[in-house]
Amino acid sequence: MPLIFELLQQMAMIVVIAYLFSKSPAMNYLTGERLRNREKLILYFTFTLFSILGTYTGLPIQGAIANTRAIGAVLAGLIGGPALGVSVGLTAGIHRFSLGGFTAFSCGISTTTEGLIGGLIHLWLMKKNNPEQVFQPAIAFGATFVAEVTQMVLILLLSRPFSDALALVEMIALPMILANSVGAALFISMVRDQKRVRDKVGAMFSSKAFTVADRTLGILSRGFSSESAKEMVEIIRQETGVGAVAITDREKILAFAGIGDDHHRPGNPVVTKWSQLALSENKVVFANGYEDHFQCPLTDDCPIGSVLVVPLQMDQEVVGTISLYEPKTKLFLSINRSFGEGLATLYSHQLLRSRYEEQKSLLVRSELKLIQAQVNPHFLFNALNTIRAVVRKDSDRARDLLLELSNFFRTNLKRTSDTVTLEEEIAHSGAYLEIEKARFGKRLVVEMEIDPQLKGLRVPAFTLQPLIENAVKHGVASLLDQGYIWVRAYQQGRLALIEVEDNAGCYCKPLESQGLGMKLVDKRVKNLYGNEAGLSVECVPQEKTLIRVTIPQDKGQFDDSSADC
Amino acid sequence: MIRALIVDDEELACEELQLLLEETGAFELVGVCFNALDALKQIKEKRPELLFLDIEMPQINGFELLAMIEADLMPHVVFVTAYDEHALKAFEEKTLDYLLKPVSRERMDKTVAKLRETIRRGQVPSYEVDSLKQIPCQQSNRVKLIATGDVEFAFSDLAGIHVVSPEGMYFTELTLKALEEKTELLRCHRKYLINPAKIDQIKMLENGLAEIITFRNAKIPVSRRYLRQLKAKLEL
Repeated sequence: MPLIFELLQQMAMIVVIAYLFSKSPAMNYLTGERLRNREKLILYFTFTLFSILGTYTGLPIQGAIANTRAIGAVLAGLIGGPALGVSVGLTAGIHRFSLGGFTAFSCGISTTTEGLIGGLIHLWLMKKNNPEQVFQPAIAFGATFVAEVTQMVLILLLSRPFSDALALVEMIALPMILANSVGAALFISMVRDQKRVRDKVGAMFSSKAFTVADRTLGILSRGFSSESAKEMVEIIRQETGVGAVAITDREKILAFAGIGDDHHRPGNPVVTKWSQLALSENKVVFANGYEDHFQCPLTDDCPIGSVLVVPLQMDQEVVGTISLYEPKTKLFLSINRSFGEGLATLYSHQLLRSRYEEQKSLLVRSELKLIQAQVNPHFLFNALNTIRAVVRKDSDRARDLLLELSNFFRTNLKRTSDTVTLEEEIAHSGAYLEIEKARFGKRLVVEMEIDPQLKGLRVPAFTLQPLIENAVKHGVASLLDQGYIWVRAYQQGRLALIEVEDNAGCYCKPLESQGLGMKLVDKRVKNLYGNEAGLSVECVPQEKTLIRVTIPQDKGQFDDSSADC
Repeated sequence: MIRALIVDDEELACEELQLLLEETGAFELVGVCFNALDALKQIKEKRPELLFLDIEMPQINGFELLAMIEADLMPHVVFVTAYDEHALKAFEEKTLDYLLKPVSRERMDKTVAKLRETIRRGQVPSYEVDSLKQIPCQQSNRVKLIATGDVEFAFSDLAGIHVVSPEGMYFTELTLKALEEKTELLRCHRKYLINPAKIDQIKMLENGLAEIITFRNAKIPVSRRYLRQLKAKLEL
């Protein structure tokens, strides 16, 4: 009986070892996943040490040792498979053998066997596709129980003289079987709890990080300014619970929230050496509060004791910093440190993205400008020359033409919105066509067929006119005889089609190699209505060129006010 | 009076210019053409001293038209355009003058003065023009442009000048002389031009005559007069 108490005492040691183990890096490998060789090696050393320790802390009884060596071997097999179990068992077994005694050989063999038993149970669990069961204390208990019973049998079979072996087994069997099984279960239970706590902390941390990211990214996408910074620091402080949070640009504090906000004011210049270092060296600066104390340059009463400053980058250029502060009375958690660094990286990406978006919208606006500027000076001067000739012959017509010309230019210049109705687009093109008809006289004939239901369809501004101008330029202007232009808008199933056709067939290039004007029309229609929309060119050389704008009507945006005009 | 021809595809623009020319009293208008082909024909027939030439015209623009006129027939040229200063800058020194539409009376007077001076000095118009890359041929009421490299040979008969390419035979307003001057085609006979790149063999005949056989097996006569010249040019 006293033996079982002695062994139970050893269990206290097992608990300590299990605790230490759970704090060690080896703990990271107990994921239930397949282990890599390096990880197996570390586990091998850990469990071998554990196992040998079990031998040394054992009690010498009648030339044998009652011990907890089995736990290391069985658990190694259980967690890492037969190879690891046998390796640990063999090493610990050889070690036991070297210590001598009449059970030296049988114990050496049996420890190896125990490792193998653990390993076989591991394989069995894997086969059942149940790797998580490895961390069940009951399984560990059972495995060690079986292993220890086997050991007793082996001692009886292998140790001589048999009478001594029998006497020994009678004495140690029960305490050792129980102690080892309970010890293994205890070890696993301890490790499992630690693992759960870790997973839970990790999950909580992840969820916190996601919450902060989710709540702040949207704000940042509106721009990097004092307003957005102010909202962001509040959220970060709320979610992380750090003492204070600040965001700066390169010169000044954009926002500050938390302890010390009475003297760390937004708008103040960046003065602390930590922030300046982060800005100038583009690196993470950390003052942990005990080796490196945060010292407020403004007042000695400042409650802040530690700080983490992470630079915010855009295109490898530092645009500002984000700082987390803790009071003198509190430790700066390393979890908050990695959190701050991760956040800064995320924000840097977002800043880059915002800039990209900004440039994209700038591009759209400049594209519009470009189209406006694309008004062909040829057209203007030819028009003026034509009108000059018309004045002599028919001053009323000349007056009309001047009106058309001014209408055309007015629309061209004042368009700022990106979309207009098809009707407006037709009116704009109509003014253009009137001038061209006067210029080319009988050589230009235009026919329009517009489905009235489509008049309210919204299209990008300058969708139709460039197509018609193209048809004039490459159509009638390059034909020796009469040039026809057909402008059509009609519905076909769920598609709205707008077509401009000429009878010249001089413009047979595919869309990709067409002029900037055509490509812009294509791009802008796609931007508005998606990839199904766009421009296509059909051409029969010397016969016709047909340029078609396709718009999926179900996505069509209509302007009702003009649909019934 | 300066014998002038207007070339512009816009009727109203022609009318406008015509009125302006009449106002100056310095010109005798020999014709108005609405495209380059018509202009080529009228230049041959009417031999104007001066062209008022629009740059933007269907199929063949003003610059290309200049490249098609043979040196003997080349009139003085005044470009008239709505807006092409860029292209004109490059041409400025080579042309006599250029006018921007709409043209004012004062500006036209300056041109007249300049013209009179040039003609008084007896300056012969000669413009550096690009070599001809395409030969304009008439096909019903369209212009068919044939790349000079595609031409196999050209010949003249009673109907006029014909250009032969793998696609067929086409009628052109350009003279053999113009083609000889402006393209890679070589004279091999009074009535024939040959593209040296298409020659498969030259067969010597009696009396110092020869016959060219092209890759497509067309037979082109070579006269005594041009045989030596041809050989020299082909470095035979």
